[in-house]
Amino acid sequence: MSDTAKPAVLSLHNVVSGYNELTVLKGVSFDVAAGELVTVVGPNGHGKSTLLKTISGLVPLKGGSISIDGQPTLTKPHAVAALGVAHVPQGDMLFPEMSVLENLLMGAYLAPGKAEIDRRLEEVYALLPKLADRRNQVASSLSGGERRMVGIGRGLMMAGRILLIDEPSLGLAPLIIEQIYGVISELSRSGRTILLVEENPARVADLADRLHLLDDGEIVWSGPPADLLARDELLATYLGG
Amino acid sequence: MLDILMSVLVAGLTTGALYALATVGLSLVWGSMGMLNMAHAAMLTLGGYAAFTATTTLGLPVFAGFAAAILFGAMAGGLLYVLIVRNLLKNDKATFESNVMIATVGIGIALENTILLTYGGQPLKQPLSVDGILKLGPLNLPYQNIVIILVVVVMMAVIALLLGKTRMGRAIRATAQNRDAAQLMGVAVNRVYFQVLVLSGSLAGICGVMVSSMTQLSPPLGNDPMLKAFIMCVVAGLGNLPGAVAAAFGLALLEAFIQYVAGARWGFPSLLFVVIAVLIWRPSGLFGRTQIRRM
Amino acid sequence: MNTHSSPKGLTGSNKLDITITLLLIAAAIALPFFIDSRYVLGQIVLALFYATIASQWNQLFGFAGVFSLAQMAIFAFGGYATAMICFYFGWNVWGALVPAALGSVAFSLVVGLACLRLTGVYVALLTLAIAQTMYLLIVTDTECFVMVGSTCRQFTGGAVGFARFGDFGTRALFKAQWLVGNYAIVAVLFAITMAFTYAIVKSPMGLAFRALKDNPGYAVARGVNRFQAQLLVFGISAFFTGLAGGVYAAHFQAIGPGILSMSQLMFIIAITVVGGVGTFWGPLVGTIVLVAADEVMREAGEFRTLGLGIIIAVSIVLMPKGLVGRLGDLVGWLRRRHASPARGKLAESPALVGE
Repeated sequence: MSDTAKPAVLSLHNVVSGYNELTVLKGVSFDVAAGELVTVVGPNGHGKSTLLKTISGLVPLKGGSISIDGQPTLTKPHAVAALGVAHVPQGDMLFPEMSVLENLLMGAYLAPGKAEIDRRLEEVYALLPKLADRRNQVASSLSGGERRMVGIGRGLMMAGRILLIDEPSLGLAPLIIEQIYGVISELSRSGRTILLVEENPARVADLADRLHLLDDGEIVWSGPPADLLARDELLATYLGG
Repeated sequence: MLDILMSVLVAGLTTGALYALATVGLSLVWGSMGMLNMAHAAMLTLGGYAAFTATTTLGLPVFAGFAAAILFGAMAGGLLYVLIVRNLLKNDKATFESNVMIATVGIGIALENTILLTYGGQPLKQPLSVDGILKLGPLNLPYQNIVIILVVVVMMAVIALLLGKTRMGRAIRATAQNRDAAQLMGVAVNRVYFQVLVLSGSLAGICGVMVSSMTQLSPPLGNDPMLKAFIMCVVAGLGNLPGAVAAAFGLALLEAFIQYVAGARWGFPSLLFVVIAVLIWRPSGLFGRTQIRRM
Repeated sequence: MNTHSSPKGLTGSNKLDITITLLLIAAAIALPFFIDSRYVLGQIVLALFYATIASQWNQLFGFAGVFSLAQMAIFAFGGYATAMICFYFGWNVWGALVPAALGSVAFSLVVGLACLRLTGVYVALLTLAIAQTMYLLIVTDTECFVMVGSTCRQFTGGAVGFARFGDFGTRALFKAQWLVGNYAIVAVLFAITMAFTYAIVKSPMGLAFRALKDNPGYAVARGVNRFQAQLLVFGISAFFTGLAGGVYAAHFQAIGPGILSMSQLMFIIAITVVGGVGTFWGPLVGTIVLVAADEVMREAGEFRTLGLGIIIAVSIVLMPKGLVGRLGDLVGWLRRRHASPARGKLAESPALVGE
């Protein structure tokens, strides 16, 4: 399955999941190796978000297995977080009545001590200087782009083994999207392992090591981004051109 | 005239402090887990009687009386989680809100009745009370009222620090604001629920000691403060702690004033009219964010 | 979890309902011939009151999803109105019943209006406060309204309440057998209430109530008027509750603030919860079980209230859908196991348990 020599950080095997009677994912398998940026693309409503939520335990696993560093994940989201999965959910899901700083501190909820928390804070502020300026502002008063940055910053504060990012461009102006992708690309270059969900494959063309095309709960195509962008018939069928 | 006004003010502030303590316990539980604890009244009573037993029957010092009230209140909250809430959370989420109300009503009755069977129905004197009056010019301040207001202010400060500055408090607030996100950060929400109920139980315990020191110990002791605390929660908007405290003081002063002007029996009905008026104007309370709960 | 009943299952459940109804009517008629203890018959009359009130609370909460705690207040309103009409105007009890029930409807509509924009626990808290206010205002009423002989009477009857304002006339008619006459009246009241409730639950209006409960957003989008439906269910349930209150006052020839106490309300909630919230037969099953349990616990004397509280808590934890819901699960399970051959026998088994 994996063509990389490095061991897989995240490994999905035949994952089946969904809500109550509804099955959304119908057997998804792939690996993400250390330092890789893997992107899942596909039309809306075909299970991209559900995939990330299943990995982090918000949606129950109905079949197959998920493992982090070879360890099978647990069913409770807080236990999955403890294994090193940092999920930046769709729509940010910030704590609206907390300040930016408190939101970031929540990201470091499982961090071992004050020194470590300060170290992570410094790192996040260095990467996202705007958050340092806004640290005492209440999250609900921020702009959409700032909120997205708090979401990513909070995910980074978790210092997980793998970062799951769900549609970071959703609902933002083109200029802000560029900024956000700039941050993601910097993160990737610094060696972080990232699983990214995105609707538009062109946006990750220069960024992703591999793409998986998810349609109706199944992976229908996998390969390097350039290959997908060269195949007009795939783009037309699954992504509307 | 001035001294009457002053005594109404003192009475209002004292009951306001008591209501605030009861209200914060209720509001905390509602805000973080969407649970209306109808057994809160019985937990209040339990605290009052625990202090009575510790100081009168066992002859322990005042400090131990408070500790016993906190301990028993906290234990009641913890048991409530372990025996009832944990199991109801496993069922359908949509029915939790009403099911937990019904279940805690049952627990409340059972607990109140256990106290009745243990101590009997006759009123007892709460030993944790102080006599005497502080005279400040035209002002007559009973020491008991000063003690109550001081204890409540200290408790409020402790709660504010706990929620605002500690890791546990931050996790509690995070769970209240976005449960899924809190879980993603590694917060075990079940443990948060347990902590919240224990915290609210210990607040109820102290509140019970304070209420009974103003009146007397009797098994239905907690019912009246709880009902008023409900009203204050509703006026403030369920789950809003600072709002609840403000509403507690505001409504208690109003109640004291109306009781003085129109007679004691109109105190409660006037609170009710305020609630109805507020709810017609703002269905989720004065300071409540417009929650969209399963609509 | 929720198995939606297919058209086939619906006729099956209709048949079941009819069978149960016929059995119950037969049992109700036969009952006075088999019971000669006045105490037992008296308790059965009381149980019928509980079942009537619980069925109306169930209509409000179980079917329409309105968690109102003013149920006993509406019942008391009906009882007080009947007593006061008779006491102050000298009317016959029979004439006072319907005006009093209509008064309860008006009172309930006011409560309903106050709750209109509220949801869930806010409704519960407001209705509880209204009921408590009513209780306090009656109990603390000390102002003389009229003088009866040398004693002062308050307008609301105060802490004592009203007594000797008239009765059904069954004592004059049946002499020693008057209780059987009252039993018949209360049984007919219960039967009419249940018949109306059944018709409402099965009607389009009932469907609208249920839609509002299960998915308010969707129901409103599909053209259900929430305000109208909610006021309607407040009004309908209040009519029968108030009527029952009047009959209660007339049966006991007395009414006092005691029926507004928390423990009475709890008993009604317990009945509905144990029987099965949102099931048609739940309140009846719950009444039978709880009144029987109450009689057993009477032996235990002072532990009665304790036992009741524990029963409420345990049954909501262990069987959130009540006995009837549990029975439904069992029937469904049997049906699946035995497929079709067992169908004919199914009609009998729940009725047997219900007895």
